[in-house]
Amino acid sequence: MPFRALLRSEWTKLRSIRSTWWCTALYLLVVGGTGWLAAASTNSAPRSDVALGVALTGFGIGQLVVLVLGVLAVTTEFASGMALVSLTVAPRRTRLLTAKTLVVTLYCALLTAVLVVVCAAAAFTLTDVPGGLALTSPEVLRPMGLQVVNGALVAVLAVALGTVLRSTAGAVGIGVALVFVLPPALALWGKELAMRASQALPALRVGEDAFAAVATSWPVGLAIVAGWAVVAWLLGAMLLGRRDV
Amino acid sequence: MIEIDGLTKQYGARVAVDDLTVTIEPGRVTGFLGPNGSGKTTTMRCILGLTRPTAGRVMVLGRPYRELSRPMQRVGALIDPRARHPGRTAYAHLLALAQSNDLPRERVDEVIELVGIDSVAHERVRGFSLGMGQRLGVAGALLGDPDVLVLDEPVNGLDPEGIRWVRELLRDLADEGRTVLVSSHLMSEMEETADHLVVLGHGRLLADLPMADLLGQHSAVRVRSPMASLLARALERAGARIDVLTDGALWVEGLDVVEVGDVAFLSGLRVHELTQVNESLEEAYLALTEDEVEFRAVSA
Repeated sequence: MPFRALLRSEWTKLRSIRSTWWCTALYLLVVGGTGWLAAASTNSAPRSDVALGVALTGFGIGQLVVLVLGVLAVTTEFASGMALVSLTVAPRRTRLLTAKTLVVTLYCALLTAVLVVVCAAAAFTLTDVPGGLALTSPEVLRPMGLQVVNGALVAVLAVALGTVLRSTAGAVGIGVALVFVLPPALALWGKELAMRASQALPALRVGEDAFAAVATSWPVGLAIVAGWAVVAWLLGAMLLGRRDV
Repeated sequence: MIEIDGLTKQYGARVAVDDLTVTIEPGRVTGFLGPNGSGKTTTMRCILGLTRPTAGRVMVLGRPYRELSRPMQRVGALIDPRARHPGRTAYAHLLALAQSNDLPRERVDEVIELVGIDSVAHERVRGFSLGMGQRLGVAGALLGDPDVLVLDEPVNGLDPEGIRWVRELLRDLADEGRTVLVSSHLMSEMEETADHLVVLGHGRLLADLPMADLLGQHSAVRVRSPMASLLARALERAGARIDVLTDGALWVEGLDVVEVGDVAFLSGLRVHELTQVNESLEEAYLALTEDEVEFRAVSA
């Protein structure tokens, strides 16, 4: 069975449930709205990347919407029993999970890319930067790219958590703890071990600001988020292959 | 053709299916019967590769289900009429299934019309009655025009018109040479549908026989005679099993009317009534499954 067929089928599934469109609207509203508000209330910034960083603030909360969207794409199948049908018509389970992950991830990456552009536009129209805008400098392009990659990786992590836990509440709960609650909570605790743990969690580390988690350099942060996403996904694929539906 | 060989499925200490070996042949409707909890659904899930057997194996068209490419064109399945996203429309549900197996979009419209859900095809399935849900499930099973159909309780929740529709559909599919396995816990649903029966009790095979044989197995002769005790002895010598009914008539199993009449004549015994009694299929089925319950109770 061609992989393309599975991709088409998964895209039909994703676009034909309301939660996808609620999440999309919420994501655009939260991140875009926060970006424009933050940029509008920042008259000037010392550098282009700082101005951009301010406008990207909304992704801190906004990534949770991606998490919910990704989790729901899987857990609604198990909750409704749809998984029985899906796995009957596509019995090669890892292929099916790959197709679903790819569709959800590409969709989330695309939305994130649109939002990044919207936020960048806000920064560069509403915030003054001395010496003009450095649109094409690596300091500006890198956080934009990282933001998109992070959106994609959170989507992968979300699909993986949904596959492992099969429960919306469980997967969203653990996902929120991993990417949003624990990193700053551990950072606030301040113990050496807690700081290490905070760094090792898949928190958003796109710019200088690690959203109150303990910061790492961007390559390390990227590797950590990717590591969580990949390991969780492999675990999900293994469990999906082994478990009864 | 579905070949089930030594299939066993255990959930912890509970044995859902116990060393089941049976072949489901093409060209006929095979009724898969058994009380609730007898292992029918588990067996069907094992056929479809949804559940991993503890032991044994199942081959569909000569291969394990999971190895079928584009399985919808080989096997159509209805496992649970509620197994679908409630917020998705019937059309989107079927479209996603069709796309997964590279089936043309027109096929979706065809099956929607075939099962008669045109009027609600673009409504969310949340509001569907159980009967509508069953029709949608059957539509999904038929999408790929498959050689094998595996349907778990497809008439459950259907109105009489719907039941007749499913019956005729299954009949037609079997007549076209397809393998049709359809489960039910009610004999009455199978009476006019199945040609062949596979009966499960506590996960074990109780019967695998043509529908007509089940009736034959459980027919009896009712005979009344003024010399009942003499006749009973004569019949027992001829190999019959005898029960004395409350009205004094004899209930004879193991001989048919002709044989009972001949025995009576040769013994010179007068007969006042001689009747062939066909148990209903329902009774025959209950007798089968009750035996199993008793057997389990004694052996436990």
